[in-house]
Amino acid sequence: MNQPESPRFYFALPRLLAHWRGGSSIRAEKNSAEAWAAHLAIFAITYLYFARFIPDGTSWWSSGLMSVALAFLVWLFWLLMLYLNSLILKLLHGMGLLRSLPVRRGQGILIVATTAAMALALVQNGSFAGEIAALWLTAIAMNLIAAGILAFSNGKAARL
Amino acid sequence: MSRLGGFAVKGVFWRRYLDWAVVNLPFYFYPVNIFFFTVFFFFFAAPARRAVVANLAVVLPGSWRAMNYLRAFRTLYNFAWTIAEAAIYRRIHEEFSYEIIGAEWLEELGAGPGAIVLTAHMGSYDLGAALFAEKFHREIRMVRAPEPHPESAEHVSASLQKAGERGVKVDYNTAGALLSFDLLKALRDGEIVSIQGDRIEGGVAEIDARLFGATAKIPNGPFVLGLVAQAPIYPLFIARSGCRSYQVIVREPIRLQASGSRETDIARGAAEWSSVLEEVVASRWEQWFAFTPIFAR
Repeated sequence: MNQPESPRFYFALPRLLAHWRGGSSIRAEKNSAEAWAAHLAIFAITYLYFARFIPDGTSWWSSGLMSVALAFLVWLFWLLMLYLNSLILKLLHGMGLLRSLPVRRGQGILIVATTAAMALALVQNGSFAGEIAALWLTAIAMNLIAAGILAFSNGKAARL
Repeated sequence: MSRLGGFAVKGVFWRRYLDWAVVNLPFYFYPVNIFFFTVFFFFFAAPARRAVVANLAVVLPGSWRAMNYLRAFRTLYNFAWTIAEAAIYRRIHEEFSYEIIGAEWLEELGAGPGAIVLTAHMGSYDLGAALFAEKFHREIRMVRAPEPHPESAEHVSASLQKAGERGVKVDYNTAGALLSFDLLKALRDGEIVSIQGDRIEGGVAEIDARLFGATAKIPNGPFVLGLVAQAPIYPLFIARSGCRSYQVIVREPIRLQASGSRETDIARGAAEWSSVLEEVVASRWEQWFAFTPIFAR
């Protein structure tokens, strides 16, 4: 624990931007705006992905109710996915693979991969949801590039 | 207890889930989850919700009941963040920052002999105790109410025992007079004892205090101990100020001198404490996690 400090970031892209502006590029898990933005984006992509399965032509109150219920179902979907991811990671670790990969980092990779797959499906459709999905994919790509630049400049392993 | 008992609001399932989540969730996967868990518990933890609404009606006189339900949601939301961050600190030792308000009193507490830290169900008192032990390299004894569910109690004990490695020792206020003697001895040996003084739990001795113009029952143990051991009582609160950021608020110590009437001395201590408690709760009502009705009807 320490005294309050200037803003620091978790993701590679804002860390790289901070680095270019003379700030710190050290990873920190303290920026709530960053956490909210990432989690809302993941939630929105998942919501839009599953919203495609709400049948057309239902009454406004019925689709409204389904839209609210879908938000809770998306939450439950991610709780289940986190559990399944933990089993996948346990299996991989049990097989002697990726043992140096911390569980939370492994979960992060699986979460981003799942969301990216949903975003790719949304992009195929075009429409407003496709635009949001394209933004998400662009953000992931930029973050990967930033992680590469940071790793190259610091000589450390790249981290998303 | 039935297997389903573990899924009760205070059941062990949720505590185990939190411990699992802390190890498994990436940093950015908390906000929406905490929001939905708050929605879930807002509906299923009805007694806690009603208690917060009832307490807020006294803390914020003239407030609308409907608004107090929204404020109760905000309180539960803050509680969810607080227990999640306490678990993060306990399980994976991530970085936290803090700001001290009343640093001179905290330095005095850290450097002095035996003292009582009187706190409230506010912010993260577990985290605060660990922080104190780490900063001053001193052991702190925390007095807690026991958990209602046996499995939860076992789980909390194990978790806190782990925290104990960092200088926090936990006592439960179930042992009656024996605990009082233990605490008195600890104070006389120069230890620091932390007690929550804003609500009555487990049939402990109580005293009436005036809080927000109403009568509230608070434990009289801290004042009896302070008087008998002649130990200063430091009001101390830990409030969450942002993501993994906390404020440690320390106020001037309450020093009880024996005047000949024990009741008068204890009542004076309780009055001083309730005045500090009122001031802090008024400014941070959204972090007052007193999930039982505090005020007499």
